[in-house]
Parts: sequence; C-alpha cells; structure tokens
Amino acid sequence: MQRIFQIDGEETDCWLGHDGSRFVLHTPTRAVACQLDPTGLPGGYTLRAKGVVRELRLAVGPEATFVHMNGRTYEVGRVDPAERLAGSDGGASDDRLVAPMPGVVVSVAVKPGDAVEEGQPLLVIESMKLETTLTAPRGGVVAEMPFAEGDSFGLKDILAQLAPEEE
Amino acid sequence: MRRIESQIDTNAADYKANFAAMSERLKEFHARQHAARFERPQRDIDRLARQNKLGVRERLKLLLDPGTPFLEFSTLAACREYDGTVPGAAVVTGIGIVQGREVAIHANDASVKGGAWYPHTVKKVVRLLDVALENRLPVIHICDSAGGFLPLQHGVFPDRYLGGRVFRNQVKLSQANIPQIAVVGGHCTAGGAYVPTLSDYNIIIEGTGAIFLGGPPLVKAATGEEVGVQELGGAVMHTSVSGTGDYRAATEQHAFSLAREIVSQWKRTPKTIIETAAFEEPYYDPKELYGIIPKDRKTQFDMREVLARIVDGSRFHEYQPDYGTTMVCGFAHIWGYKVGILANNGVLFNDSSLKAAHFMQLCNQNRTPLVFFQNITGYMVGREYEERGIAKDGAKMLMAQGGSVVPKFTVIANASYGAGNYGMCGRAWDARTLFMWPQAEIGVMGADQAANTMADVKIRQLQREGKELTEEEIAAIREPVLEKYKRDVEAYTSTSELWDDGILDPADTRNALGISISASLNAPIDDPHYGIFRL
Repeated sequence: MQRIFQIDGEETDCWLGHDGSRFVLHTPTRAVACQLDPTGLPGGYTLRAKGVVRELRLAVGPEATFVHMNGRTYEVGRVDPAERLAGSDGGASDDRLVAPMPGVVVSVAVKPGDAVEEGQPLLVIESMKLETTLTAPRGGVVAEMPFAEGDSFGLKDILAQLAPEEE
Repeated sequence: MRRIESQIDTNAADYKANFAAMSERLKEFHARQHAARFERPQRDIDRLARQNKLGVRERLKLLLDPGTPFLEFSTLAACREYDGTVPGAAVVTGIGIVQGREVAIHANDASVKGGAWYPHTVKKVVRLLDVALENRLPVIHICDSAGGFLPLQHGVFPDRYLGGRVFRNQVKLSQANIPQIAVVGGHCTAGGAYVPTLSDYNIIIEGTGAIFLGGPPLVKAATGEEVGVQELGGAVMHTSVSGTGDYRAATEQHAFSLAREIVSQWKRTPKTIIETAAFEEPYYDPKELYGIIPKDRKTQFDMREVLARIVDGSRFHEYQPDYGTTMVCGFAHIWGYKVGILANNGVLFNDSSLKAAHFMQLCNQNRTPLVFFQNITGYMVGREYEERGIAKDGAKMLMAQGGSVVPKFTVIANASYGAGNYGMCGRAWDARTLFMWPQAEIGVMGADQAANTMADVKIRQLQREGKELTEEEIAAIREPVLEKYKRDVEAYTSTSELWDDGILDPADTRNALGISISASLNAPIDDPHYGIFRL
C-alpha cells in the first residue's frame, strides 16, 4: 500500500510490503526489513530494524499517530494520496462566468471597476424555477457585466468578465 | 473514502436566517406529530379505559424490544382529510424490532373513531403490507377496529387497492413464506375477521377480543338469533371450539409476551450481504442541515453539504465529479451500509441524465443500494436541448432507474417537480421508503407556473366570450388558484394523501435511511436486467 507520511512536518512516501516472512518498508531510496511486536504494556511495542532493537509507545488518533521513542515524541500524520493528488491539479481559473443554461438575470451585485474577492456573489440568475448565485472564480477587478436585471440570456453567454490578471 | 470539506459558515447571516426558518417549521411539525400520536378527546380515552383496553402506543411498547428504534410511517396521514378528525388515519404502521428481528407492524388505533377503516386507513395498511412483501418482513397485526366507515364505504371497499387488497396481500405474504401474527385486542368484524384468520398465528385477548363475520346486532337482524359477543366469537369459543383462534391470552400483557415468544420460534434466514464498513457518525452535525436548506425554495444549494450531514464520517467518493455536474453521483456509507447516492444540484441536462443512468447501472452491477436526494425542478426545456435529445436521455435515466434491481430509497429534500420526480425515483417507482422534508414541495410544476397556466386558460376562455377583464378581475381569478395550488403541493398534503411514508425532521433522515436499508436486506437482490435503452 502506498502511503504518504508527515513526520514532524516533513513528508515521506513509503510502501509497506511483505516478503513472505517479514514486513519490509520501502522508502524512495531503500528497503528496510522490520518487525513490530507488542510488549504487553498499553501501546508498547518492540521495533526491530537493521539489527537495532528499540522500545517504543504508540498512540493512534484519527488524523495522526504519536510515536514515543528514545525520550522523544514524534507526530506521524497520514496523508490520503487521493487527496494529495487531487490538490495538485489547480489550473488557472477562468476570467469569465459563462451561462450554464439559458435564463433571466434576477439581480446584479457588482459593476465594472469593482474589486471582488474569490467566492463573492456577482449576480443571481433564474432558470427552470431555480435561482442560482454566480460567484467570482478568483479575486480581481470586474471588467464587464453585460446583462442587467430582467435581461434574458442564452446558453454559454458571458455573464461576467474579470479584468485579466497582471503577471 | 475522503471527507467532504464543508464550505458552510455557521455564523453567516443566510445560515442563521435559514436555521431560524427551519426551526420554526419543525416546531409546528413536531407539535402536529405529537398531537396525531397522543392528543385525543377525553371521551375516547375514557371509553378505552371502560373497555379495559390499552392504547395502541402502550401495546407497541409491550410488543417491541425495549430501547430499539421504531420507524413509524405516515404519522400525519389524513391530516388534511375528514376535517382533521382522523389523526394518523386511525392506524399505526411501521418497522420495529421484536426479539431482535425486523418486523412490519400494523396496529389499529381504537382511540380514533373506534379504529374504523377510512379510505386513508386502507391506503396506509395496503402500503405497509406492500413494504412487508418487498422487504420480506414478517407482519404483526394488532386488530382493534370498528370495521369499515360506512358513510365512505365506496372509498374503502370496491377498488383494486382498497379493502380487498389488505387480505390479498396477506395471502401473498403467506404464499411467499413470510409469517404473520395477529393479536386480537378488540372486535374483528366482517372483512376484519380475515386479518387474524389469514395470519399463520393469532392470539385472542379474553374479554376484549372477538372475531365474527357478523356481530350480534347483525345476526339478530338477519336471522332473529339472539347471541352474546363471547358465545358468538370470543376467545374461549374460537380457541377451543371453532379453531379460528390459536392462543387465548388472559391479559394484554400476556398476549404480547405470547406474540414475542412466537417470533422467537421462527427460523432466521440470513440477510442479503452487501458491502459494509465500520459504523461512523457524520463528521458534521446533522442539525446544521437546518441552516443549509434555504428558506426560499427557489434558492439553489449544494447537495454535497447535505450529504456531509447524512453519511458516515461525512465521507463521499464522488463519481464523475466534472461531468454532468447538476447530478451529483457517488458512493458513501449509511449506518455502515455502502450505498450509491444520486442528488440533484440543479436541472437535469442531457449529460446529467446520462451520468445518472450510467451510475445506476454501475450500482446494480455491484449490488449497491441506491439513495436519491431530490431537489429537482425538471429536465431542461428548449430547442437546443430537444435537438440534443433531452427526452431520449431522460428516457434512458427512467429505464435504468425503473429497471434497477437493488433496493431504492428516496428523500424529497426540496423541490420535486414534473418528470424530474420520475427520474429521481418518485412514489410511482417503488422506492422501498420515501420521505419528505417539511418545506419540500411536490407537483407537476411550481406553484407560480401552475397558477399562471390555469388562470390564463380561464382568462382566455372569458375573453373568447367577449368579456374585457380589468387588472383586479384577473387578480381575483389568479389569487385563489395560486392559494389552492400552493396548498396542494405542500408536504402536508403529500403526507396526508400517503404519497410518501412520512415527513422527516431533516436531522432524523440518516436514521430513517439506516433502518430502511437494514430492513431491505431481508429480501434477496435479483441479477440486473433492463428494458431497451433508447441510445
């Protein structure tokens, strides 16, 4: 299973495998055979790896595991790989709001020249008995609001345009 | 499975306004529900006491396992009929636990009109027995009914889904090897006599319980014979002479402990196995739903925020997140049971319909029950969409939905208009249970559109007759139509007419679904098969 661990703020990709007789921890640079046995104490384990034997204590929480070893406590966070990869796809957001369907403008909240923040409501449209608030895809300055209250618009008409971002 | 990250700000003005509006609605709802369950005129309470009978709620307490959930159906049935004088349609139905087993309960409420069968009573009982058939749930009948309400016999007796259907369903249950017990705690007269006699087991309570085709007054009128209740159809006669009754109980307590003992004798058939995960409460508080559901029905809201307050751990694996985005599809767990969820985030377009159809086939293939969250104003209209075949794509969705073999469950969370209701498993489409939220509406179209359409027809008709109408006259035509339509689409009308299995406090939805899913697994799941998809 591929895992991403966050140990004291630093991230490591690992893969815990089994070679038939023991567990092997694969890191990006090497493979380490290891063994973890309970000592009978609450949360107590004996770790054997690379010929070294260490006593440690584990406390497992929903978001992280705390490892107490050699008089120190390490926080080991688990990162969901799907979450991590989903977070890395943030492409450039669009400058335009395009009508998702034909409809009528119910109200307009901003005018050209206004500075807006990401998520700020720009206008409310109605279509098929449903009112939808359209919000700014990013922070910026409003360049155009082509439709006024009561105007009808068609599919894919541009309902709001932000001024291009300066590099 | 990843957790939905809520974008809701519980300090925002909108949230607070919504929360206040929903809380107000729920206050009314809970008050009405309490009244329907418990508030009765003193004379009816006195009469039961005089007859030495327990009320239906006390009877249920004796029957059901203590501390287990009872999913009551249609508590507010008939709330808009008979001037509100027949609370709950004079019958209590639901799914409960007896000796650790899920059973369907049908119990007459003799504190309402002596437990007489009104048209809505019959509808409610037939529905319960349909639930028992679909989910293969044993049935426990608690009989205490004055019989059919004669002034409305035409709405109780003759048609296909009226009185006879109760007994027909009992026969079908027996045929399907689904056991039934009847506890006779009052008179079972005429048709009512067939409820205990079609049950595999019946228990008659001495003194109060009796079974006969014609009661003493009818016998006297028909043949002149004078005979008392006990000799004609009491517990002793039926359990020792006629063999019509199986067990004689000295008291109500005795009767219900006998019923429990009988249930414990039944063979336990293993439930259908579906994917499960460890039970987890939602990460986000279900009560936050009150602030998420907009107080204005027309305002759009993100169904993912709703799902985050329903499903285990608020975890949701969304399917095709970037395609047909007005249809949210994905996997989650409820009470540990894996389900496929379809939820509306806007109008159904061609792509959203195709996505829904595809997702439902996927769930049927891997035996995942389906849960629908409706907030649907319809399939998109207009030339562009007709040219793309919106009616054809909608038909695919109906074919996949109607042809689904996995159990389906529906929550009408807000709007349920037009064909969108069909695609999203409305009442006609065999949802195992279907619940409504109190502010939700159901109708062929929205109130304003319908009122305008109906008023325009009337106005044009008058204009053809040469009448010139003033603004006031037009308003005078439109307003009453609008008022009536608004009332007709309300959740209270729906629940009164049994178009649903009850109105839910949104925060209770998770538990209602949990019980429903668990109960549905008493029935096997067929192999997937469909009709013809118009490709």
